[in-house]
Order: sequence, then C-alpha cells, then structure tokens
Amino acid sequence: MKKLSNLERMLTAIRREEPDAIPTFEIDIDERVIEAIKPGASYEDFCEYMDLDAVCYHETRTDQYQVIDKAKGIVRDQWGAIKQYSPVSMSVPVTLEPAIKSKEDLESYVGPDPDLPARFKRLEEAVKRFKGRKAIIATVRPFATVKDSLRAQNELFKDMIRDPDMVDRLNQIVSDYYRRYIKNLIDVGVDIIMETADWAFTHGPMVSPKYTERFIIPVFREIVEYCHSRGVPCLKHTDGNIWEIFDMIVATGVDGVHPIDPLAGMDLGEAKAKYGDKVCLLGNVDCGNLLSWGTKEEVREAVKDCIRKAGKGGGYICMSSNSIHGAVSPENYAEMVRAIREYGRYPLSLD
Amino acid sequence: MFDFTELTHSVAEGEVSKAGDLTRRALDSGIAAKEVLDKGLLPAMEIVGNSFEKGEIYLPELLMAGDAMKASLELLRPELATKGAAYAGRYAIGTVQGDLHDIGKNIVILMLEGNGWEVTDLGIDVAPEQFCDVVKSGDFDILGLSALLTFTMPKMADTISALKEAGLRSKIKVMVGGAPVTPAFAQQIGADAYARDAVEAVAIAKSLL
Repeated sequence: MKKLSNLERMLTAIRREEPDAIPTFEIDIDERVIEAIKPGASYEDFCEYMDLDAVCYHETRTDQYQVIDKAKGIVRDQWGAIKQYSPVSMSVPVTLEPAIKSKEDLESYVGPDPDLPARFKRLEEAVKRFKGRKAIIATVRPFATVKDSLRAQNELFKDMIRDPDMVDRLNQIVSDYYRRYIKNLIDVGVDIIMETADWAFTHGPMVSPKYTERFIIPVFREIVEYCHSRGVPCLKHTDGNIWEIFDMIVATGVDGVHPIDPLAGMDLGEAKAKYGDKVCLLGNVDCGNLLSWGTKEEVREAVKDCIRKAGKGGGYICMSSNSIHGAVSPENYAEMVRAIREYGRYPLSLD
Repeated sequence: MFDFTELTHSVAEGEVSKAGDLTRRALDSGIAAKEVLDKGLLPAMEIVGNSFEKGEIYLPELLMAGDAMKASLELLRPELATKGAAYAGRYAIGTVQGDLHDIGKNIVILMLEGNGWEVTDLGIDVAPEQFCDVVKSGDFDILGLSALLTFTMPKMADTISALKEAGLRSKIKVMVGGAPVTPAFAQQIGADAYARDAVEAVAIAKSLL
C-alpha cells in the first residue's frame, strides 16, 4: 500500500478501514517529556520530530485564566470557578470553588465568550503549519465544565436527584457555549473534534446509565450530530470502566472511543469484538504504571498486545491510556512510538 | 415503639429531612443515641455499601444517603460524645503530598463514618512528616493514603519510609488507594492493604483491626 499522509492515516483508521499503518498521537504530552526527548522543541516541533499523526489541542490550552495566586497555582477559570493546580502536575487542577453555588448564582450567571479571537490563535497557526498533512484535533469537555467549573462535582451529582431542573439549566449553558465554540473550531480548520470529559470511574460509570442517558448524553449527541453535519469526525474520551454505558456512547454515532482504560479493567480485545464494527478504538497502552515505571521490553510487549487485539482490519489508533503526563518515562514513550511504527505496519506481522 | 426500619430506609434512600425528623423522634422518645446508630444508621450504610458494590446504585445515590446519614449523625453526636460510645475504630486519612484531589478520599470518609468509624481527615497535599506527626500524636488504628495522580504515588512509599524511620510503622496499619494505585504497588511499597473503592475500604479496615 502506498504511504499515506498522517492525516489520511488518521481519517482512514477513524472510518474503520485499514490504513498503511496504525496511527498514533496523544491528547496531551507533558513538556518535561518533550524536553527530555527533544530539548528546546515546541509541542508542534515535537509532533513533527516524532512523526505523530495528529496534533491535539487540549481545550485548557485555549481557555482564558485569571491568575489569583501564582505561587500557589490558584486561578479563576473562564467559567468563574476558582481552581488550583498541583505543584507537580499542571494538567489536572482541582476545583476550590465552583462558579455556581446556588440557584441565585445561576439566575445571574453569564458564561464566557465562545467567539473570543484569542482562543483560536494557536489553532490558526497549527492550521497554517499542518493543514492537509497532520490531523488537527481540538478537544472539548462539556460535562467536565458542568461538573468541575459551573458546579462542584458532588453537588451536581446530588442535583441529579434533588433538582434535575438545575442540571438541565447548567447543561443548557454549556450546550449554548459549545455549539458556538465548535462551529468556530471547524471554521478555523480543525479536522477532528474530541470530547474529553470523563464519564466513569475505575469501577464503573460516575452516575447510573439512566442518569448518563438523561443528563450527559444529550449535550454530547448534539456535538456528534453537529460535527457530522460539517463532515468532521467526533471522538469520545473517557477514563474508567464504561461497559455499562458503551452501548449508549456508540448509539450517539460517535466515530471513535478512547482509551479503553486498562486500569479500569477494560479489555481492548473484548471492545474490538463488541464494537469494532461500529467505532474506531483508540488507546489502551497503560500510562498509569507501565509507561511510568515499566521496562522498555514491557512497553513493546504491551504495544504488540494492543495491536494484536485491535489492529486487524484497521479501526485502531494506538496510543496511551490517557496522556503522556509528567510521570511517564520519556524513554518508555519513545519506545512506545517506535514499537507502534515497527509492529503497526499493514499487513500486520507481529511475531 | 420506634420503627428503626423506617429510619434505615430513609437514610438508605437519601431522604435527608425525613432521616433527621425520625432521628429526633427516636431521641425524644428516650432511645439512646447508640441504639439509634446501631439499629438505624449502621444497617442503612450496610445496605448502601452493598448496593454500591453490586452496581445497583451510583455516586449520586451514595452521596444523598451520606447526607441523610450525616443529618442523623449530627443529632446523635452530642450524646455519643458525652457517653463515650465506642467507635468501630480510629482512622486518619489524607491525600499524599503534591496531590490536591479529595473526592475519592471524601467518599471513603463518608463510608467509614457511616459504618461507625471515627475519622480524622488530614486533607490534601499531606507531607510524609505530617502523616508521621499525626500517627505519633494520635491513637489511630489505621492510616489511609490516597492519590489520584501517578506522579504522586511515590509519596505513598515515602510516607511509609518516613513512618519506619520515625519508629512508628509498627504502631499503625497503612491502607492505600486511588485510581492509579494497584494491589501490586501496595505490596511493593509495604502497605498493609489496598482498597479498590470506598466500600472495600470499610471491609478491609474492619479486617485489619
């Protein structure tokens, strides 16, 4: 088969067809890993250097933040929530105070501006540099916005029982924002939208399948339908064990599901057997333990195992089970990419 | 005659105000707080724990039951404190240094308290030496270490090492948990136990006593 461009490779896999080779990219790559592998490289330079098939712009990179206490890592996010970043990881902030603490807060709430030009500056540069070559992915996270910015997580979960109208109104706020924001992303030239809000914990869905269908799926389904109306694929990320809600995720018409979380007991082979004819599968190389503490040989074996389970016939993108966070060993990440390139060429020959 | 089943049911169903009303009625009718706890609340949290474990209820239902349990427990606490009612055990818990996440930890606390444990919440971003100070100064049975970030898992090992160096390791059992933590990691760092979730944490804590 002729060599495909990175973009073609991605889109072919997402269509569940067999490309020339299994693609790879990451939702996020910590700058410490970038620095260790390619000192001085920007994220974009690094993606070129590693020949990754997509550049992915996590929404937090384009959000607007107001710094409240730099030393303590405390910021006010664009939704009005006060958040704090851990001193050891800039990727997962915790919410100290949500934007909406009461019904009164909700009545007077004004959300951020989805048209703010600054949000799209970096993406516009990426489009200039990569359009037509590498897939340009932008992430969005409506449920995480409701859960971690507008409302405190546990209060939101209790609202589902005691005040469903409140949840509907919060969902309307994010739905209005994201409809416009995603339109802008696609207008700028983004090739793929990826929704990255977690919907599950290690042991199962955060809320019951009934509440997932009632409170979480509708906003997501709108996004999938809108993307498809623009001819843009939409991928879904959620950590955790999603067996109970996998059917309803697939029923939205989403094009791909990431990361089939191995730490939550999700088996990639089983996912391929059950859903491989309906969605592209992404991920599953354990970044919790294996990429952080494992040996290079273990990493190669894990990549081979993933390809063996999900690579046949296409429809698989091999990547980590979440992201290349700061604890990942740079050597192991580089080994993972090497192994994907070595064993991921079609026709597959793993042994 | 007070109907404990109704109280149990109201807590398990997360009916906050009803649980409070029934608890008040029980106390007003002269029933001892310890009896209300034993016959009304503990069976409720057992039902909730089992249902959560079996996947019959999820976090929203668990949290509402927790609120109902707290509403009831608040009314019982003054009498429990003055009469020195026995707790199931004493548990100190915190999220390890560098990690600011507390949702998982707080659910563990909710389930432990609901099952009769006296819990001291050490908060988030707790340094190994702070854990040592707490173990040294308090009479705790178990120390719980929580982490969400892979990055902060080594701090669990550091905390156990610090306990050893301070000569405190034999004084306390150490449990670890959190999304990236595995039983193998727990064993590797010398923890006494690993718990997958809050319900398992309660059962394991009991078995460690």
